[in-house]
Amino acid sequence: MSVGELKVPFVERAHRALNDRFLQEALNTATTRFMTLRHEAFQAFPQGEALRERAREIKEATLQKLDFYLEQLADNVERLGGHVHWAATGDEARGIILRLAQERGVKLVVKSKSMATEEIELNEALEHAGITPVETDLGEYIIQLAREKPSHIIAPAIHKTKGQVAELFSRELKRPLAADPEVLTKVARGELREKFLQADMGITGANFAVADTGTVVLITNEGNGRLVTTLPRIHVALMGMEKVIPSMTDLMVFLSILPRSATGQKISSYVTLVRGPRRPGEMDGPEEFHLIVMDNGRSSQLAGTLREALYCLRCGACLNVCPVYRQIGGHAYGYTYSGPIGILLTAMLHGNHAVRDLAHASSLCGACQEACPVKIDIPRMLIELREHLDRERIAPLAERLIFKSFARVLTTPALYRVLGRLGRLLQRPFVKDGRLGALPVFLRGWTDHRDLPPVAERSFRERWRELER
Amino acid sequence: MTTRAQFIQRVRGEMAKTPGLFAARSADRPQEPGALAETIRRQLAERWPAALARFSEEFERVGGVLYRVADMEEACATISRIARERSAQRVVTWATSVLGAELEPRLRAGGLEVAGETAGLPGEAERSRFRHASAQADIGVTGADLAVAETGSLVVLSGPGKARSASLLPPYHVAVFGKGALVESLEQVGVIFEALHRDPGTMSGASISFITGPSRTADIELTLTRGVHGPREVHAIFVESL
Ligand code: SF4
Repeated sequence: MSVGELKVPFVERAHRALNDRFLQEALNTATTRFMTLRHEAFQAFPQGEALRERAREIKEATLQKLDFYLEQLADNVERLGGHVHWAATGDEARGIILRLAQERGVKLVVKSKSMATEEIELNEALEHAGITPVETDLGEYIIQLAREKPSHIIAPAIHKTKGQVAELFSRELKRPLAADPEVLTKVARGELREKFLQADMGITGANFAVADTGTVVLITNEGNGRLVTTLPRIHVALMGMEKVIPSMTDLMVFLSILPRSATGQKISSYVTLVRGPRRPGEMDGPEEFHLIVMDNGRSSQLAGTLREALYCLRCGACLNVCPVYRQIGGHAYGYTYSGPIGILLTAMLHGNHAVRDLAHASSLCGACQEACPVKIDIPRMLIELREHLDRERIAPLAERLIFKSFARVLTTPALYRVLGRLGRLLQRPFVKDGRLGALPVFLRGWTDHRDLPPVAERSFRERWRELER
Repeated sequence: MTTRAQFIQRVRGEMAKTPGLFAARSADRPQEPGALAETIRRQLAERWPAALARFSEEFERVGGVLYRVADMEEACATISRIARERSAQRVVTWATSVLGAELEPRLRAGGLEVAGETAGLPGEAERSRFRHASAQADIGVTGADLAVAETGSLVVLSGPGKARSASLLPPYHVAVFGKGALVESLEQVGVIFEALHRDPGTMSGASISFITGPSRTADIELTLTRGVHGPREVHAIFVESL
């Protein structure tokens, strides 16, 4: 999906995804692989369960003293010679970065993967100002060349075939390249190495920021996080304010569970801890360090329905297990953050209006909460979000009527019985091999891309009554 | 422009509207991290062989290659052999004040071109010379401040004589370490970090890196590929005499 296509309605985007055979296969392979790796990693890590509880509590404890930890972080970063900037909105964050770059005559920026900079569409703003941003995470580099958006938090270019990547690189570098991941990766290394060495500014996000020591923590597998914070003379880190954690002891808890949840690794290949600019006597490292603390809608949820979404570590586990994400992929959601948590974050950043269709793009099966390293109760928040939309009359009218009637049916036993029997009669022509395959007219959407189990010939209630006899 | 005071004011205002979701505490931090770190080190002075065995297993699992040698002389021979097998010529190293004076001359004697980091206060010219050397080098030789058994990670603290580029830019990274660097778990690393940060004199650099195996990516069709940005091979030499 190209950037301009965000205007296409959700239903249509979802349909396109469902009809894209390669995307379907790629999504299935990738999400299944990530799920398996995560599962195996936690199976082999008995203390994982307790650490998840611990991590969840740390996140909540931090939010309960957020003002204190943010100030402590800022004091420590400044003590180490760094500069701290405060951005109430995404607009303001962009403005700060642009001003820093322009005042210092920056022409070329290298970036390591950061959802926060995606969130504020920083690249577009930099380009507009005549500054060249280069994404250095291989997946991000690919989608930047293709002028697309990431389709997965952990594997942004998961929707691209190696053939498409080869085509893209060949066009960009004006020489034919084989559709071989090994070759393509090597080519990217060469290209990007030049950029690292030339760039004046490195821009990163922050996986964590340790208040007590003034440390920004970056986690990567490629090592681009290290390069971006070592070679350019200026390092700018943009963090959502909820990324702060109290201490190094807390950090070790997260280091144990985040990589396992994301890719099944015991730890990612590179964990980089940055404390301000390089010290006297150091041979390399940036001479300037700037930390931007961003709100952009987050504080409005500190006491809101979506508070718990502020625990999110951006590990992607909930995407991999979500039956909806697995079918439609990240692009169909239409915003920076996809998957179940993405719906909540989109509502947080853009308001409830932005998710009037999306809020229903979840089956509320609970798999996301089960997979989440900090056990975020995503289903509860989605239900509350739907209720809000309902109350604010943002949800589509038909949907509101249907769900209202459904609620009535569920709470009126007699009605439930009668309708169950009616369903059994009416479904007969559509049941094939024990599955409800293709429903007619306005019900088509429910069965176009999946089969539903038919209404049972004997209901649970009927069987229960028989058993009791 | 939002000031710190305004930003914090807004956060505080919203926080005041809720007591939070549930009663919660952050992690229990060691009261006396320095003393606790000392205890850990003392215990490891006995337990290090088990830690080394676990480190070896985990380090190899992530694609690292571990060697065990008696002294620095043998370590230098190992580095020369690694270089020869890969037709590597150019080496950058941390400063001799950190790695030991015998390293550079021995590597040179083995036929390698060595660009060693100089300790002291490097100027602009010195910095760009070293950066160039690192970018051109085939092998980067460093120490390791910690070797974490649980994860197979090498932890390097930057500082004078301990350039970050040496473990980052060359395609082959070789780290030399002794038993004093071994720790068992991330939890122990947490204690040591608490202790380090408590005492401002101990951290002379601005960066700490955990390096766990070679640089890797699976961004093209999930095919695992090594050396995308950082080194494609990581070697660790355990030196008994260190
Ligand atoms: S909600 Fe949980 S599972 Fe989903 S990305 Fe965030 S931390 Fe990971």
